[in-house]
Amino acid sequence: MSRSWQVSRRTVLRGLGASISLPMLNAMAPISQAATAGKTLATSAAGLPIRTAYVFVPNGVNLSKWTPLQDGYNYDLPEILRPLSSLKDKVNVLTGLTHDKGRANGDGAGDHARSASVFLTAAQPRKTSGGNIRSGVSVDQVAAKHIGHLTKFASLELGCDGGRNSGNCDSGYSCAYSNNISWAGPATPMSKETNPRLVFERLFGGDTGKDKHAADQRTVLRKSLLDFVSEDAKRLQNRLGRNDQDKLAEYLSAVRSIERRIELAEMEDDNRQLVNGYSKPEGIPKEYMEHVRLMVDMMVLAFQTDMTRTATCMFANAGSNRSYRNIDVPDGHHDLSHHGGNDVKLEKIAKINHFHVQQLAYFLKRLDSIPEGDGTLLDQCMIMYGSGLSDGNRHNNENLPVLLAGGGGGSIETGRHIRYRTETPLANLFLSMLDRSGVQVPRIGDSTGLLPYLS
Amino acid sequence: MSQQTYLIARGIPSRLTLPEIMNHLQRNRLISFVSAVLLFCATTGAQEPTSEQTDMTALFSKQIEPFLTLYCNDCHSGDEPEGNLSLDDFARLQEVNGNREVWLDVVARLADREMPPELAMQPDDKELSEVLIWLETELGKYDCHLDAKPGKVTVHRLNRTEYNNTIRDLVGVDFQPAESFPIDEVGEGFDNLASVLSLPPLLMEKYLEAAEQITAKAWADESIRKQLIFQRPSDEVSAQQAAEQVIAEFARRAFRRPLREGELDRLVKLYQLAREQEQDFDSAIEFCFQAVLTSPHFLFRIELDDVDSPDAKRPLNGFEVASRLSYFLWCSMPDDALFAAAADGQLDSKPGILDQVQRMLNDPKSDQFVTNFAGQWLQLRQLAKLVPDPELFPQFDAELRMSMQRETELFFDAVLRENRSVLDFLDSDFTFVNRRLAGLYGIDGIDSDEFQRVTLQDDRRGGVLTQASILTLTSNPTRTSPVKRGKWILDNLLGEPPPPPPAGVQELQEGSEAELLGSLRERMQQHRADPECAQCHRKMDALGFGFENFNVIGQWRDKDGNFDIDPSGELPGNQGFNSPAELRRVLRTIKQKQFVRCLTEKLLTYGLGRALESFDQCAVQDIMKEAEADGYRFYDLIAAVVTSEPFLYRGEKGE
Repeated sequence: MSRSWQVSRRTVLRGLGASISLPMLNAMAPISQAATAGKTLATSAAGLPIRTAYVFVPNGVNLSKWTPLQDGYNYDLPEILRPLSSLKDKVNVLTGLTHDKGRANGDGAGDHARSASVFLTAAQPRKTSGGNIRSGVSVDQVAAKHIGHLTKFASLELGCDGGRNSGNCDSGYSCAYSNNISWAGPATPMSKETNPRLVFERLFGGDTGKDKHAADQRTVLRKSLLDFVSEDAKRLQNRLGRNDQDKLAEYLSAVRSIERRIELAEMEDDNRQLVNGYSKPEGIPKEYMEHVRLMVDMMVLAFQTDMTRTATCMFANAGSNRSYRNIDVPDGHHDLSHHGGNDVKLEKIAKINHFHVQQLAYFLKRLDSIPEGDGTLLDQCMIMYGSGLSDGNRHNNENLPVLLAGGGGGSIETGRHIRYRTETPLANLFLSMLDRSGVQVPRIGDSTGLLPYLS
Repeated sequence: MSQQTYLIARGIPSRLTLPEIMNHLQRNRLISFVSAVLLFCATTGAQEPTSEQTDMTALFSKQIEPFLTLYCNDCHSGDEPEGNLSLDDFARLQEVNGNREVWLDVVARLADREMPPELAMQPDDKELSEVLIWLETELGKYDCHLDAKPGKVTVHRLNRTEYNNTIRDLVGVDFQPAESFPIDEVGEGFDNLASVLSLPPLLMEKYLEAAEQITAKAWADESIRKQLIFQRPSDEVSAQQAAEQVIAEFARRAFRRPLREGELDRLVKLYQLAREQEQDFDSAIEFCFQAVLTSPHFLFRIELDDVDSPDAKRPLNGFEVASRLSYFLWCSMPDDALFAAAADGQLDSKPGILDQVQRMLNDPKSDQFVTNFAGQWLQLRQLAKLVPDPELFPQFDAELRMSMQRETELFFDAVLRENRSVLDFLDSDFTFVNRRLAGLYGIDGIDSDEFQRVTLQDDRRGGVLTQASILTLTSNPTRTSPVKRGKWILDNLLGEPPPPPPAGVQELQEGSEAELLGSLRERMQQHRADPECAQCHRKMDALGFGFENFNVIGQWRDKDGNFDIDPSGELPGNQGFNSPAELRRVLRTIKQKQFVRCLTEKLLTYGLGRALESFDQCAVQDIMKEAEADGYRFYDLIAAVVTSEPFLYRGEKGE
């Protein structure tokens, strides 16, 4: 497939943003009503759904070119953040947040693996490269449990790197830790989809051709098939030991999530019409930037059509050693991140960081181009962007690079650089984001309370 | 941190047997061969236990305590001991076998003179040998069979490869339906570790879709359909009866065991339900097949425990053994012959099992063992992602990459199928090349793109370490990395993974300016002037520099830029070498047990689909011992693995 083709097809996606926004909202109506009928779950004061995305980048950043010198509204965008200049008033730079559970705390090396598994769980992962993996439940999955029933997909997990296929991923940590930021349970990482075509099919695919009667029959059959297999699993569970039961529990909860989706099938029909104008992405493009942007497009589409209100995306896996030839950085990212204070390497790292922020800017601009209510889709979003390490060389977990974009349905005051007391848990931000989605939980990982100064 | 965690964190070789330790001692010229034999006899021979114990206790106070105080305790004591190893508590330490793994590590490091570190005060040979002999005597008393247990494998979800192959063998359609499934997670270096393979909702959706696609493909193929629906309704056979037969046969094979009571009834009810939804016979059967393909009995390999005593040790039944064998050697379900062997009790005996293993290895399906085991053990799968700098290595392209991978696979295949000694992996006199590789290696007269076996004419190459695949995947894009090469050998061949570098280490200076500082070797030497780094790098770098005659893509060279290559080096224990050939010979002779242990552990991990526990060490030792008699032939090793206790039994699980 040629590159130009990819570009043009993305342009199509982009162009459609504005034109479908109005019917979109109509299609969403039943769901929004459902939401307000219950509580104000994931819904802004204006009655519009609030969407949340978490974006992960690996290996820390060049902090000297990331952190603004001034605080508050009037700060100058540092070099790495400059791609955000046109969006500056819709973004907050949060400085001083920490993931203590990403530190070794007696477990020795393996910071990269930890940096991903802790990123949204704020929980210390168990050091193991074999069985018994154990982390925490990630913030997106907490949200999915509380508000996932409002949308067809409880959550969406995306990324650009598949798993590494062989070798231990990092110093005695299972690859599960490096490759996943989303964890449904302490032992259940949520595999991410890396192929934009498959995401699209998952969101909007299905058989449109069959007539209503056949479709209904199919639904009945599918349901009874799922009944049958969950009965299988339940019978089995009684005959298994603890670990085995956990595996069957995963199976059962996966089956339940599909059952729920079938029940929301009517929604599907409405949305299918809306996206009929799109042509499906063709698969994973060769160019990394195109890949990132297609995954971003999928998030935008999913938010736009209210298919889900919670998404995660790993621009790359923890410890990624990808080379960025497109921006003249042929060296491996991870190799570079051990810069040892070398200026040339630091400059190259800044270039990679800048490139990633450009992709974030693309994401935010897409969201901002779609009108919703009195503002834009971005105003209804909370997009958290960051890394689980602050400096790839020192492998430290305090003062993490974190951005929070979007107005959260009018609940967040943006346009500022906010400096928090050192060692403030990043998990406090998660609590605050959940709170704005109408989800109150006592804690996430090592959180100590809500994060102040956001509104 | 537990001992185990400590060992893992430090990447401990450990687990030496007494003869291996003897070997160590001899190598290090600490004791003569005669005294080693005498010592071995003395420690294994019968002696009055009480007086012996008294002697040992006395010796501990006389030799060991002072030694530890003088040479070890400065660092290894107190609240924050180096490497988390504290030797404070002498009373506890005396119970050597209670702290067995720690002491095995101590012995290995002392014997290699890795400890005390270079700059610290060193014991003389006599002091060292006294301590080692005492420790080995104590360690030699340990009977691993007392601690051995078979362990327990968690229910095992089919991974992507296993799913594809199983569908091919079960249904007859081969279209890689798992291609769109999420990547399987990896543990212990393999993607078939039961406890790590999870089942997120995304995957469940894929299973459901795949089931529909699979049956659709099967139904579209007249001959496959006929084979699966071997009984149709007729005047003699009612639709219900035909359905029962067809579904029973399919489910039995899909679940890889005879159906249990009530299972068929439930499936037949499903068939009836489909008929009520206006589905014809074929569609209703198709629907039942989809349910079978989505059932946990198909997607997981399940070995049930006894409800009342779930941790009691029990032999696996024939069908469970059949699945273990087939997923080990074929990455797929058992075939009819294996099912038959399970049904008539053949798999209850070791000769019966070995008959099947012979047959299975002769089946082309065992190629899957080569690509999946070798691909992960030797990390060949990583090759696909590597891109050496195109400006420096313009000849590297997709074809060359494929050729590199193929060479190593063919080589592995030859060692396996010709039942050669696994030591050939370390050094050998043959390999496989095609036109592209022959060009790279400077071998004349190979014009075909087909691979052919060649006898190596010079001493430059031999074994996997000099194959372009391994040399490339252990290089950086722009230069070789002796550290990566050394680490690769320690990780994958010697089972002695070095701990990762401490955070914040100064990286090597690169680029043309840096070269003013000297050759890569000189710069590396400056780099590890820090004693903290030197500790691990000494071994890693010596191994890696031994292969510096091979460039980033595995071509021979005598110079690196302006600098002559110096491939000489020394491994701990005064094992010097002057060329890659000599280093290979050192590995093949001196390190052979360590290598065989490493490979055995990898085979057992892969074969069981679980991480090994400390109690598995006995099985590992027994497997090695069985294969030793005939010089560690590959088949003997596999035969010993599949007849080992962890492979044939199930019992209490590890931590």
